[in-house]
Amino acid sequence: MPRIKVDHAKCTGCRHCEIACSLNHVANTANPRRARIRIMKDENRYYPVLSGPFVDAACTSKQLIEIGGHKYDMCAFCRASCPEKPYFIEAETGIPLKCDFCGIPPAPSCVRWCNTGALELVED
Amino acid sequence: MNGWVGRCLRVNLTEGKHSIEELVPESREKFLGGRGLGVKVYADEVPPQTDPLSPDNKLIFSSGPLVGTGAVTGASCNVVTKSSLSGTIACAKMRGHFGAEMKYAGFDMIIVEGKAESPVILSIMDDKIRLVSALEYWGRSTSETEDRFKASLGDQWTARETFLATIGPAGERLLPIANIVNDRFLSVGGAGIGAVMGSKNLKAVAVKGQHSLEVSDGNRFVQVVNTMINKLNSSPLTSQSMTQWGTAFLVGLCYPKKILPNNNFLQASVSLKNLGTDALESAFALRSRGCFACPVACIKKTEMKHHIYEGKGMVPTYLAIGSLGLNCGISDLSTIGTASMLCAEAGLDPVAAGGTLATAMELVEKKVTTKDELKIDLQFGNDNSLLEALQLISTKKGHAKRMGQGAKALAESFERPDLFMGVKGMSMAPFDPRAIQGMGLHFATCNYGPHHLYGYTFIDELLGVNENLDPLTTEGKPALVKLYQDTTAVMDSLGLCNWPLMGLKFKNFVPLINSCLGTNYTADDLLSIGERVWNAERLFNVKAGIDGSHDKLPARFTEEPISCGNGEGQVSMVNEMLPEYYSLRGWSGQGVPLAETLKTLELEDS
Ligand code: SF4
Ligand code: SF4
Repeated sequence: MPRIKVDHAKCTGCRHCEIACSLNHVANTANPRRARIRIMKDENRYYPVLSGPFVDAACTSKQLIEIGGHKYDMCAFCRASCPEKPYFIEAETGIPLKCDFCGIPPAPSCVRWCNTGALELVED
Repeated sequence: MNGWVGRCLRVNLTEGKHSIEELVPESREKFLGGRGLGVKVYADEVPPQTDPLSPDNKLIFSSGPLVGTGAVTGASCNVVTKSSLSGTIACAKMRGHFGAEMKYAGFDMIIVEGKAESPVILSIMDDKIRLVSALEYWGRSTSETEDRFKASLGDQWTARETFLATIGPAGERLLPIANIVNDRFLSVGGAGIGAVMGSKNLKAVAVKGQHSLEVSDGNRFVQVVNTMINKLNSSPLTSQSMTQWGTAFLVGLCYPKKILPNNNFLQASVSLKNLGTDALESAFALRSRGCFACPVACIKKTEMKHHIYEGKGMVPTYLAIGSLGLNCGISDLSTIGTASMLCAEAGLDPVAAGGTLATAMELVEKKVTTKDELKIDLQFGNDNSLLEALQLISTKKGHAKRMGQGAKALAESFERPDLFMGVKGMSMAPFDPRAIQGMGLHFATCNYGPHHLYGYTFIDELLGVNENLDPLTTEGKPALVKLYQDTTAVMDSLGLCNWPLMGLKFKNFVPLINSCLGTNYTADDLLSIGERVWNAERLFNVKAGIDGSHDKLPARFTEEPISCGNGEGQVSMVNEMLPEYYSLRGWSGQGVPLAETLKTLELEDS
């Protein structure tokens, strides 16, 4: 099954992927708040997060994740959107968004516009 | 509305009121947006004789129509005002994400007028426009301001999406060499604007929003972007050099050609450490960061480990290495990096600050003054004194006061105006006009002082991108200068970054522009808009009293030949090239646009 591999170390935070997704899902429209991928900034790093399901209650299993000696709030990379984290809620309609793995093969639109290799289509 | 939001926010700080206006379609057609429309609106509203620091001056933030649409490198916002350093029109370029977020917040343009009674932050967040008291931010560094403001929002998710343009202590103290810093450490290219913002008691502007932008033909637009990304990837300059090292890769090319100056443009033969890309990589762990929608990502961040500055920081760019480094005789990259961080935190323009210190160092070397009089041991090559001076300038303590006024004022205060290396009061970007003739002509004629980002001649004179030209010859250079000045004017007006011109031709941008805006421009149509913008700026300057007599390089460049190495014996031939340039521009011998030129460009001389 093909899937999108994320390498946050390569991400430059350019947010071109957000616009690619927005243009692909809403005709002729560029708006990061209508994208199903968002770049979460934490300290000096950027984490591309592909939206997962919407859960209507915040979870209770919040943790700190350690990467390269730094501790990060798990909420920042969690793919779900929830009432506590208002990401991936369609700006104009209020509908929760979910990545539908779009795009003309071989690459979904976000992967196509990501020029750094932070997003990559892999088979496994 | 095809690229534009179509709205402009006008904020009057004196009255604490704001209004929302529509952008007139006719002026959008004639001036596009960004720099062009900013200049048009500014020149229509502000009398040229206005004192830059008076409440009558206005400060305009203007994003281009392509910004935020996903157009490759569509990220740039221009800050238009009258510069307090040069007294000319200023149209400083802002990179990063602020410009795009400003459009999502619902505005192509923000016009700031008047003066607040006490310090404020203009906050434009999700359609709520507020003036927040900035008393507790006043005096703080740019990054501290950003952090505190974001913390004050109380919600980390909102904070993550908010972008700030802020001044540091230098702008608050109205230093002419202050600038604005946005998105943490990105200095807006150009001095003379930070003090204008400070004079309005405006500490920062914060933007966030969720408005959508429309593009005219989405399918075509997406295809064009794909092609452009591929093209950028097939050019070594944009896919390797810029991506790996940022503009600092130019250092290794310019230094041996004597284009990169040292010691206040004395071009002495000094022994310097290697400053090439290898040195850069061993001095810093580089991490790329992209402006909005930029596949090149030339901004390099790092962890700084210097006893004066520790923590997150930026790897020095070509400008910083030239202005704060070599031109002050300093080649230690860690010192240069620290110096550029001190500038970013205090909100000082690195070119203007570096130029001022280089002038001070030459004053000492020429024994015009002494280290005792200056109370700082400023000498070419003295790392510690450079850092000390940079820390003092923005505190306006002691003798550093003189330096905060810029290189010209400093040189004049010691009655040695000849030691000021700049044009129209602005210090020169680190390109020696004797070793790169086209750039020299551009420096002399640029409406906003000698800044290389307003006339990209080096992409041909040095990098041979479109044409391989010898930097030392003058033939064809006036036409080249005009072409690149017009090109950058139109790119800035659209909101596109100019660096990709190293990997893409201007004509490659035309389908991008048309599919986004729903227009049918040809490359020539667009260049003539660029020319209109350039002339509108010139017209403002002329009325402000800055005409062709200010299109002059310091005598050093026309009289003192380069003394050693490559380019030895060369002087700048700027005065020989000027008449041809003026006539190509359709200007009088005094550098003033002729009536028929204005008519062709549909600019009225009111
Ligand atoms: S795969 Fe498609 S839907 Fe999913 S994030 Fe990427 S562009 Fe958006
Ligand atoms: S396009 Fe790639 S590099 Fe840019 S923000 Fe998205 S994931 Fe990061």
